Amino acid sequence: MKMTMDVALMDARERLLSRAKREGLTTVGYDLLPSPLGPLWVAISPRGVATIHYGEEPSPSELRRLVRVYGPGIVPDHRRSSALARELDQYFNGKRQTFDIAFDLSGLTPFQTRVLNATAKIPFGSVSTYGAIAKRAGNAKASRAAGGALNQNPIPIVVPCHRVVGSTGALVGYAGGLDTKRQLLGIEGATTAQRR
Amino acid sequence: MVENDALTFGELLERHERELFAYAIRLSGQRADAEDLYQDTFLAAFRAWPPPRRGNERAWLYKIATNRAIDRERRAKRVVANVEDLALAAPQRDDVTLLDLAGAIEHLPAGQRAAFVLRKVQGLGYVDIAVALDCSEEAARARVSEALKKVKAAVA
Repeated sequence: MKMTMDVALMDARERLLSRAKREGLTTVGYDLLPSPLGPLWVAISPRGVATIHYGEEPSPSELRRLVRVYGPGIVPDHRRSSALARELDQYFNGKRQTFDIAFDLSGLTPFQTRVLNATAKIPFGSVSTYGAIAKRAGNAKASRAAGGALNQNPIPIVVPCHRVVGSTGALVGYAGGLDTKRQLLGIEGATTAQRR
Repeated sequence: MVENDALTFGELLERHERELFAYAIRLSGQRADAEDLYQDTFLAAFRAWPPPRRGNERAWLYKIATNRAIDRERRAKRVVANVEDLALAAPQRDDVTLLDLAGAIEHLPAGQRAAFVLRKVQGLGYVDIAVALDCSEEAARARVSEALKKVKAAVA
């Protein structure tokens, strides 16, 4: 009986969301994607991937950023996440080194945006340092602030903040946990950072 | 802003859609009508965003659904309950039987039916029922009591 209700509800929800979309009431689609690192809560805006969050629910601050930029029309949407799901899957299986999907840093400060754009340019398999990223973001002395911006990265993996390490090569920190950072660098074969 | 209020349509939907869908089935007695009612309710909520009663979005949704169900019935006049569709939303926690529900659906006018289902099936408190029916708490109690009498008479 419960199954039947679930199926009926899923159908009804699909139709509701199509109607809301046709009326222009929805802006951002979100989904929960399985990954070797656990479930990822992802959001796709009209401009591209806006959020990848480690866990089943976004943090309140991430959700507030999306609402600030796109309003409340943020709804579940499996279809919209399919391109990202495919690229992530290929990445985790060693079949993809760069992401083709667009990403969306709207709503972040200019400094955060510069830090994350600089980070997006670090190639697969290599690492950079907080100092180098700060310099590329226009302020060589701001390595601590760069670390802060990276810690708040709303789109980890696609914007590869895991490729930024301390000047000694130490992993230093990662919003998804140091084990996750290690795993990501492992997938990329960039294990040199762990040795020191 | 009250903590825990939904920030997005998605949150509102995920928190309340199951309950509102079940309510729609119980109110309309037909799966197809219930789907329409569920869609109309949430679309109206999205259009009217933000919820006017912060901290009580659930009662707000019930109010929208109830008003829409009553309007719909005024237009359509006659509703024939489909017992199989009702079974989709069979209550599991109280002593209201499907027969009671079918009786209620067939014999009550829309406003009293809503009062009955809100209280006896959905298990809402009178404060929320008053919001949903847009009346005082006292009037809500009176409507539920009146509805109950009729249901008992109908299944006697």
